[in-house]
Amino acid sequence: MADGAQPIEALWGAAAIRALFDPTTGWLDRRVHSDGALYQLELERIFARGWNFVCHESQLPNVGDYFINYIGEDQVICVRDEAGQVNVLLNTCRHRGNALCRAERGRAKSFVCSYHGWNYALDGRLIGVPGQSTYYRGDLDKSRLGLVKAAKVESYLGFYFATMASDAPSLHDYLGDVGRTGLGMVCANGEVEVVDGIQKNIIDCNWKIAVDNLFDWYHVMYSHASAGSAGFLDLAAIVHPKDQMVMLGDYGQAIGGPGLPKEMQAKIDRMSDEERVEYARSGQSPFPRVRPRMAIELMGPEGVRSMGHPNLFPNVWITLGGMQMCLRLPRGPSHTELWWFTFVPKGAPPAFRQAIVRQATHLFGPAGLLEQDDGENWSQSTRAASGFSRSKVGAALLMGLGRDEVSVGENGQQVIEGYVGEHAQRWFYRSWTEWIAARDWAELETIRSPAPTGVV
Amino acid sequence: MDATVGAKPPAKLAAADSGLSERVRLQYEVEQFLYAEAALLDARRYREWLGLMADDIHYWMPIRRTVTLSDLDLEFTKSGDMAYFDDDWGLLEMRVKKLEAGSAWSEDPPSRSRHFVANVRILEVAGDEITVEVCFHLYRTRLNSEVGGWVGRRLDVLRRAGGGFRLARRHIFLDQTVIPTTNMSTLF
Repeated sequence: MADGAQPIEALWGAAAIRALFDPTTGWLDRRVHSDGALYQLELERIFARGWNFVCHESQLPNVGDYFINYIGEDQVICVRDEAGQVNVLLNTCRHRGNALCRAERGRAKSFVCSYHGWNYALDGRLIGVPGQSTYYRGDLDKSRLGLVKAAKVESYLGFYFATMASDAPSLHDYLGDVGRTGLGMVCANGEVEVVDGIQKNIIDCNWKIAVDNLFDWYHVMYSHASAGSAGFLDLAAIVHPKDQMVMLGDYGQAIGGPGLPKEMQAKIDRMSDEERVEYARSGQSPFPRVRPRMAIELMGPEGVRSMGHPNLFPNVWITLGGMQMCLRLPRGPSHTELWWFTFVPKGAPPAFRQAIVRQATHLFGPAGLLEQDDGENWSQSTRAASGFSRSKVGAALLMGLGRDEVSVGENGQQVIEGYVGEHAQRWFYRSWTEWIAARDWAELETIRSPAPTGVV
Repeated sequence: MDATVGAKPPAKLAAADSGLSERVRLQYEVEQFLYAEAALLDARRYREWLGLMADDIHYWMPIRRTVTLSDLDLEFTKSGDMAYFDDDWGLLEMRVKKLEAGSAWSEDPPSRSRHFVANVRILEVAGDEITVEVCFHLYRTRLNSEVGGWVGRRLDVLRRAGGGFRLARRHIFLDQTVIPTTNMSTLF
C-alpha cells in the first residue's frame, strides 16, 4: 500500500455505507454512482460473492464450445468439457497471468497460453508446460497449477450461474421465488435457446443506474416518447401506469412493472391454450402476450400476472416478456457494458421466431428505437454524481413511499400493486448497502433485511 | 463475405479504350451519388435521404465477434439471427419519423456527424443494379465533448431509377465488436 493510502474499510466503514441510502426517506447518496472505493467493494462484495449469470446451455452444445463472460471485471471462460460438464474458469494463466482465451466464443480442444505455451484441458487441468523437464528440471507440480475455477457453478432452467464464494447459498435459495419467477418468465412458452448474436455496447454510466432504470416505468412515456411517435409501439398499451405490480425477494431480487389485474388473470386461467392464443390475437387482451397454462408452474399464481421486468441481483435484466436478457457489466465506476441475449422457444415456428428477433433487434440494443434514448440519461446522471457540489445533491427515490402495502397471495407470493412507483429501486439500493457493508456471507446473512412486508 | 477482396485488377488500358471511359463515367456517377447521400445525412435531411431508398431496401448490420482464425465462420451473425440493424423501408421510415418527432432526446441537441466514404469499388454490374464496396468512417461528436464513431466496410447495391439511382441494399460490416458508443442514433 502506498504511503498515506488507507484501507477501504477506513474510508467506508459499515455505518458510513449504511448511511448511503435511507429506506425510510428514499434519499440516495449519489456517491454510490461515482466513488472508486465503493466500486472496489462492489467487485469484492457483490460480484465475486453473489451468483452471476455466465451462459445458457444452448450456447455450449458440444464438447469444447466456449463462451467468455465476466464476474464483475474478472473474465471467465465457460466451456463444456469431455464429460459434458460446464466449467467456469478464470481466464488467467497460472504462470504469468496472461488471458488464455482472447476470442469471445468458439471451439477449442484445449487452451494454450500465447505467452509461453502452457496448455490447459477443457476442465482447467494444466496438461502441458514447454520445457518442463529441462527448464523446470522436472519439479513443477502441474496438479497444483490448474486454472482457478469458480467456487460453485449451478444451473436453473438451462441458465448457468457462477460464484467465487464457496460459502454462498445454493443458486435455488439465492434466486428465491422472485428470481426463479424471473427465469420462469423466460421459459413460460417452453424451453428456450439463445438466438445467435449478442449485441454489446459500452455506456459511460455507473452500472447501478442501468439496473435501477429497468424498474423505472415512470421514464418510459417521456424518455421513449419518440419511439411511440414513430409508430413502432404503443407505449400506453405497454406501461399501464395504474396496474403495476412489484415483487421483492431476499438478497435484492425484484420484479417491477405492469401486471395483469387479478380478475383478468382469473379469466385467462379458465381458458385453454388455444383460447389464449385467440384472446391475444383478437386484441381483447390488455397485453399483447398471453402466457400458456404451463407458465403458472414456473411463475406462480401471482408472478404469472407480471408483464414487467425481473432483475436477478445484481445485474441481470429480463425483458421483452422474457425473450431478452441484458447484462449490465461493470467497467469501472463510470462505465458499463451492456450485453443483450435473445431467446426463442426451442422448435418455435419460423414466423414466431422471426417476430421475436424482429422485436429484439429493433427495440433494444444501441440502435434500438427504444434503447437509443436511455444511454445519455444514464451517462449524464453518472457524470453529475462526480462533481463536488452536484454529488452532494441526493437522488430522490420518493415515489409511492409509505403509500402501498405488500399483499400475500394464496401460495405465499408477495406482491405490491398500485400506481407506478419506486419500490423496487428502493429495495435494490437498500439491499446494495447491506451487501457492501457485510464483509462475508455470514455477516450478510446476519444484517440483511428480509423481503419487506406490510406497508412499504 | 471477403471473397470480393481480391477483385480483378483493371483490364489493360490499351485494350479497353472505350471501355475505360465508360467505367470512369460509371465510377464518377456512383461516387457522386454516394457523396450526395452522405451529405444529406450529415445535414440531417433525413426525409430527403429516405427518398433515395428503394421500396425493397434491405439495410442490415450484422453483429461481429472476436473469434480465432479457426473460427472465422462465426465472425458475423447470419441473416435472420440477431443484428444491430435489419431494416426494411418501413423501419427506416420509423427511424426518420423518430428523428423528426421533436422528442428524440438522444439527438437533441443533435449530433454532429461526418460520413467519410472511401475506397469505392464497383464489384458487379448486373442489369440496372450495381454492387459497390466502400470503406467508411462515420465520425460523431455530440454535446460538449462526446466523441465517437464507427469504421467498417459496406456492400451497397445501387439501382438505376429515372435519371439517377436508388439504394436497394446496404449491408454494413463494422470493424468494431463491442460498440464503443452510448447508442447508434445515427444512420450509416
